[in-house]
Amino acid sequence: MNKRVVITGIGGICGLGSCAADIWAAMCDGRSAIGVLSGPSLHDITARTGCAIRNLPQHEIERKQVLSMDRFSVLAVLAAREAVQQAGLTASDKNRYRLGATVGVGVCGWEAIEQDYRAMLLHGRKRTGAFTAPKVMPGAAAGHVSMDLGLRGPVYGVTSACSSSNHAIASAVDQIRWGRADVMVAGGADAPLVWGVVKSWEAMRVLSPDTCRPFSANRQGAVLGEGAGMIVLESYDHARARGAEILAELAGAGLSADAFDIAAQTIEGPEAAIRACLADAGLVPEEVDYLNAHGTGTKPNDQIETAAIKRAFGDHAYRMSVSSTKSMHAHCLGASGALELIACVMAIRHGIVPPTANYDEPDPDCDLDVTPNVARERKVKVTLSNSFAFAGTNAVLAIKAA
Amino acid sequence: MTNQLTAEILAEICKHAEPDGNPITLETKLTDLGIHPLEMADILFDLETKYGIQIETDITEAWSDLQNVGSVVEAVRALNEH
Repeated sequence: MNKRVVITGIGGICGLGSCAADIWAAMCDGRSAIGVLSGPSLHDITARTGCAIRNLPQHEIERKQVLSMDRFSVLAVLAAREAVQQAGLTASDKNRYRLGATVGVGVCGWEAIEQDYRAMLLHGRKRTGAFTAPKVMPGAAAGHVSMDLGLRGPVYGVTSACSSSNHAIASAVDQIRWGRADVMVAGGADAPLVWGVVKSWEAMRVLSPDTCRPFSANRQGAVLGEGAGMIVLESYDHARARGAEILAELAGAGLSADAFDIAAQTIEGPEAAIRACLADAGLVPEEVDYLNAHGTGTKPNDQIETAAIKRAFGDHAYRMSVSSTKSMHAHCLGASGALELIACVMAIRHGIVPPTANYDEPDPDCDLDVTPNVARERKVKVTLSNSFAFAGTNAVLAIKAA
Repeated sequence: MTNQLTAEILAEICKHAEPDGNPITLETKLTDLGIHPLEMADILFDLETKYGIQIETDITEAWSDLQNVGSVVEAVRALNEH
């Protein structure tokens, strides 16, 4: 159970870029990719602020497979390919039953659902597409990653709304710790920029009309984005034995639930997850240099998260760096935690804390060092990544320098 | 017998197929078309809608009964003539 788990590959795609290096470069520049959404899938929607992937990169996923994929599965496969390529890993008949995948998906394949409803209810079509059922299921992304890469070990989807990525990664760590797999390709994907999903977020009155300004007094809410992030996790021994470059160590995870409300958060739930994560990773609060906040840019989240951080870290809360990269890639729901892991791993490797962009005015209730607007050079040995979610499902990850 | 029905069905199948360089004829086996079984279900549904017929509801049955492009044409023609 004490098996060390390390990260040997990382991949991502979101509004900031089509690979982890581009996403990191944009984060370091404090460049936000949030803008005005366009495209036929939004129809008459008025909430037009979002963070879309403007152009999907060229890919060579087989036509027959693409037909059966909703957008979130395509994004998951592209990020997984990048991560596996960086890890220098190939599935072969010798190892493929020891390689698995978990993909966190918070929403599901709404692109296909909506096309079908529109075709049937508005245009009189009598049936759905034959691929709709297997396309839309949240577990589809994990399945497609396994098919694309030939992974035949533990493969399954994980879902917990906005903390899906972190739960998927925590679950993948467990597979390796328990010896069920040597390698897990883990992360999250979501493509929620379709009419029905954006409408449902608009109805909650949590979407910002301009941009995402976490921890800033003039914040106006969250912004939705799409994307995927995937990492290659493997046991330290496995990585060493094959001579892989170790990017960082996935030192631990802390999971908790608020058991309180479907939409409102508590302070105690996130606090408990942070404490559990530190304990699982064998860390004391003073060892954490950077915390990537959940930081959605809604007033309740930012204030409750700040309070939870202060309770878990005490005085050290003011000495470590905090930032919300959602200010740049927006809230990619099930993909968020995995994209934020790019920030955490790269912060360790480059000694740079990515900023909270779009920050204007201090909020006295959010008085931590949130790295406003400009990246900060700092030696980073340990990072934490917070993910909280509707339904009160909290998941925090700890990443350590290798 | 090459007629409009044959041409229409061939055209429908060609829209989906990715054959290995060979032209698609009535003799082309469905398994050589590079079409996913669920995609075949879509093609059959479209033909049913277009001609107001019911070919086969079970896709595995449909696959075992329909061997090549010609058998799809024959199935549609037989049902269409009722």
